[in-house]
Amino acid sequence: MFPKVPDQHKTGKPLVPNGLGVIYVLFTTVYLFLIYFSRIAPASNGVSAPLTLAVCILFGGFMGLLDDWMDLKWRYKAFMPLIAALPLIYLAIENGLRTSISLPLIGMIEFGDAYYFLVIPLIVMIVTNTVNQLGGLNGLESLCPAIILMGLMALSPSHLILMLGPLIFWLILAGVNLQGKIFVGNSGSFAIGMNVAAFAVITDLKLPLLISIVPYVVNSSLILLTIFFAKKRASVSFDGKKLVSDHRRSLVTLITYHRPLTERQVVAIISLLVAFFTLIAVITSML
Amino acid sequence: MKERLVNGLKVFGRLRIQTSHASIICYSALLLILFIAFTIRILPIRWEIPTGDVRLNEFDPYYQFSLTNKMVQDGLFSPYLENDGRGWINYQQWYPDGLDMSRSLPALPMTAAVLYSIISWLGVNVNLMAFCSIFPVIFGTISCSIMYFVGKDMGGKAIGLFAALFLALAPSFLQRTALGFFDTEVLGIVGLLAFILMFLRAIDGNRSLRSSLIYSVGAGAALAYFIGAWGAAYFLVDLAVLFVFVLILLKRYSQRLLLSYSLTFGLALLIATNIPYISLGYLTSGAVIPVAGVFLLLCLLEVLRHNISARTKVLLTGASFAAVVGGFVALWQLGYMQDIAGKFITVLDPFIRSANPLIESVAEHRIAAWGNIYFELGLGILFFLTGLYFTLRNPTNRNVFLLLFGATSLYFAASMVRLLVIFAPAFCLLAAIGILGILKPFYTLLREAPQIAVKSKRRIARVSKEYSGIVIFLVFMLLVANFAFAPQNGGVPRVYGQAYAPITVSAASLPLGGANLAEPAQEWLDMLSWTGNNLQTTTVVCAWWDYGYWLSILGNVTTLADNATVNSTQIENIGFIFMAPEAQAMAMLEKYNAKYILVFTTLRIAASSDGSYYVVQPVGFGDEGKWSWMARISGQARDRFIQTGFISAEAAWTDEKDFGVVSNTTGAWTWNDAGKSSTVYKLLGYAKQRWAEVSGTEYNVVPDETGVAPTYFKEEYFAGVDLNPIDASAKYGGLIPVVALYEIDWEAYYAATG
Repeated sequence: MFPKVPDQHKTGKPLVPNGLGVIYVLFTTVYLFLIYFSRIAPASNGVSAPLTLAVCILFGGFMGLLDDWMDLKWRYKAFMPLIAALPLIYLAIENGLRTSISLPLIGMIEFGDAYYFLVIPLIVMIVTNTVNQLGGLNGLESLCPAIILMGLMALSPSHLILMLGPLIFWLILAGVNLQGKIFVGNSGSFAIGMNVAAFAVITDLKLPLLISIVPYVVNSSLILLTIFFAKKRASVSFDGKKLVSDHRRSLVTLITYHRPLTERQVVAIISLLVAFFTLIAVITSML
Repeated sequence: MKERLVNGLKVFGRLRIQTSHASIICYSALLLILFIAFTIRILPIRWEIPTGDVRLNEFDPYYQFSLTNKMVQDGLFSPYLENDGRGWINYQQWYPDGLDMSRSLPALPMTAAVLYSIISWLGVNVNLMAFCSIFPVIFGTISCSIMYFVGKDMGGKAIGLFAALFLALAPSFLQRTALGFFDTEVLGIVGLLAFILMFLRAIDGNRSLRSSLIYSVGAGAALAYFIGAWGAAYFLVDLAVLFVFVLILLKRYSQRLLLSYSLTFGLALLIATNIPYISLGYLTSGAVIPVAGVFLLLCLLEVLRHNISARTKVLLTGASFAAVVGGFVALWQLGYMQDIAGKFITVLDPFIRSANPLIESVAEHRIAAWGNIYFELGLGILFFLTGLYFTLRNPTNRNVFLLLFGATSLYFAASMVRLLVIFAPAFCLLAAIGILGILKPFYTLLREAPQIAVKSKRRIARVSKEYSGIVIFLVFMLLVANFAFAPQNGGVPRVYGQAYAPITVSAASLPLGGANLAEPAQEWLDMLSWTGNNLQTTTVVCAWWDYGYWLSILGNVTTLADNATVNSTQIENIGFIFMAPEAQAMAMLEKYNAKYILVFTTLRIAASSDGSYYVVQPVGFGDEGKWSWMARISGQARDRFIQTGFISAEAAWTDEKDFGVVSNTTGAWTWNDAGKSSTVYKLLGYAKQRWAEVSGTEYNVVPDETGVAPTYFKEEYFAGVDLNPIDASAKYGGLIPVVALYEIDWEAYYAATG
């Protein structure tokens, strides 16, 4: 049913079904529609949070499918999530969400209207694209966003129900993905990225999100800076058992730089890194 | 015998319409879309049936109704030919000067009058107002069917169907073609779509010359109809001119273009200049002059096509440019060229409007906020953008037109909320193209070979049918989320929120609809019925201009102002009456021979801070929310009022800030002494006080500020004053509308002033 791609980091490069993230998109959409119909999360000020989230995830999944199909250029991928920011901006304005962000040491930064029209689109654009960029290893693109999502859910018990079902479903997919039996594809990574960003905006958890995605931002910064300045791309070598690299152009190559590690080990290290930052985010928010 | 019978039956069999299965499905889908379009638009009738009548929505449709009524009663041209050709002056409106009804575009009332006469002749007995109310529903549905053909020409039946569906559900278009919205846009959009359909067919080089001629004539007739229907015709005229000009720049000139252009515009302008109210001056207006310029350019290109010497070509080109520029300058300098119509220029430059509170006070004239546009487009903006992308990639003549239409109408819509309705057809077409552009490869995959190679960084070699099915399903879900469960509308379909609301007068001007209003609100209907039964047609009632049409047409009294806003001085004077202290207001009222004054207020009950009693306070949907415009508009004429002795320089005002301030602590408006002595404050305050006395006392409700009986205004009839809090809660979600009619006590005034 799904298109198959070779698993580059396995001996014999077996073909693995790709794009299973789309099942997550469909499941989450149905789940959020059910939440809406059951009136568990009623509309606030005329705007429905479950439907807003559903629209964002649908859009993320749709964008991922287009990427899988047409191999979208980065200039399109970078800015397409801005469209999905529209429902979030509307929700934020109608519900009068806080337009300030409290940063440790710096204090409160008041953005005013710029929060709606600048900060929210930036959050959506950055999170969606950075999540999409950190992938390529079995389990990496599914486990890390799940960790961030769990952190955000822990900080917002009132919105827990919105993501409970999708998170469980995503974790099941992540488990299978970790075993190398499926790939979630761009449809999955864009959808989950959009999901994380949209959930953080809806629950007004901007600071925890910003702290949690630090490893993602580091990864994307390394990739983009190398492309812009050195015009080189990150690539990791696979000797049949372990991954190793001779440069530091991404988070994966940074970890495997002259240090052969198995795919599982790399995924575990990055996941722990994300978990660490998510923990800091949770503690910072609770303080 | 049997054989003959069988053969005879076979003859009947041959009469069957031969059509493909695909066509049946397509036309069934179109019929379903038209049914949806009609049903949604007729929904407000649910609140009209219990009242036993079907009225018109908002305010402006009443103007069109009175014209239609005149045409039905006295003949189609009667509004233009009465009074020895000077036209019909309706003295029941804009007393004492009256409203010159001959300064009206005739297409809408004439069409309605003709159709009404036909159905009456056929024996259908229907009230004219009910007919006019249903008219936009029918023509809105017709617009959707024309949209199907426009879309079909653009890219096939599927695009036509999607475009028709989107137009049927487009919020701005829906609002302006729903039951009761008997206004110029209704026929305007029909004319616009008919013109686009026929003009693009006329310039199509693949059609025969005969067909091209027929479509050119049709396009000309449609454009003339549009010009006679809606003031926004300038937009379409200039869009078509711009389109032809761009075709010339793209080196796509053809004889067919010259022929179609000249025939279309020649016929359209010939008919248009003979339409009552539109004179020959229309041809020299700034917005129509470019038609001649482009025509000359086309003629020049035709001449240059022929085998003539380079010297002659240069001479001809120079002479043509000199003729165009010289003619333009000459017309301008000699004063023959008219300015571009006021509203049109204010659309091009919306900042002009912000300087005029009279225009800005109308919500639909304001600059569209991004929220208006998002509410209109929803996530459909994704498909709109992809539609632009696919259109740009394939710049055929039709697509060039669509791009120009989309870009210019988006600018207009961003400039003025009302013009979102012009953008709606462009959006629908582009969104349909976008959706089909995205879905086409996946749809093809579903129908054809099971596997197709695609390129990807992950080297996906094959895409299965199921995968394509999922893409199609995702797009479907996006459409569902956009149309059926729009998050920005709390999950309620956007069209439902837009259409399932009563017409304004049946909701007593309250923002209620759907399940929140079980039955029509009676307060305004009661007031209009009371004035109709108890006052003379010639009795002058002063009210803010929003209620002018209701009072004059439904209430059958004479009014000073309405939404026609033809006399800004008179509106300033009415603003003065409401904002000035009573004595000064009476001096102005005397000028107008007014016998009554009317205010409308909306109230809501809240618990007191200690919870021991309840407080009734204004909500803002009535004059308590409009008085700031009264202050601003009348404040513009401050010097005139001082010079004419109506008020002293010390007591005169500029805007609402002279009547109070917004409290820093509560955020509520706090009236100062000038505000508390204003007529509107007293009239509204006393209406609230009377409601509290009549209906509030039993429920321990007191007004937030004690109202005092005005000196020169006596309570005549207060509709809604007997609506108790329990009924208000059950019927109107706690809102209490009070329409207060005061009799002006001239005796007391003359006694006091001598």
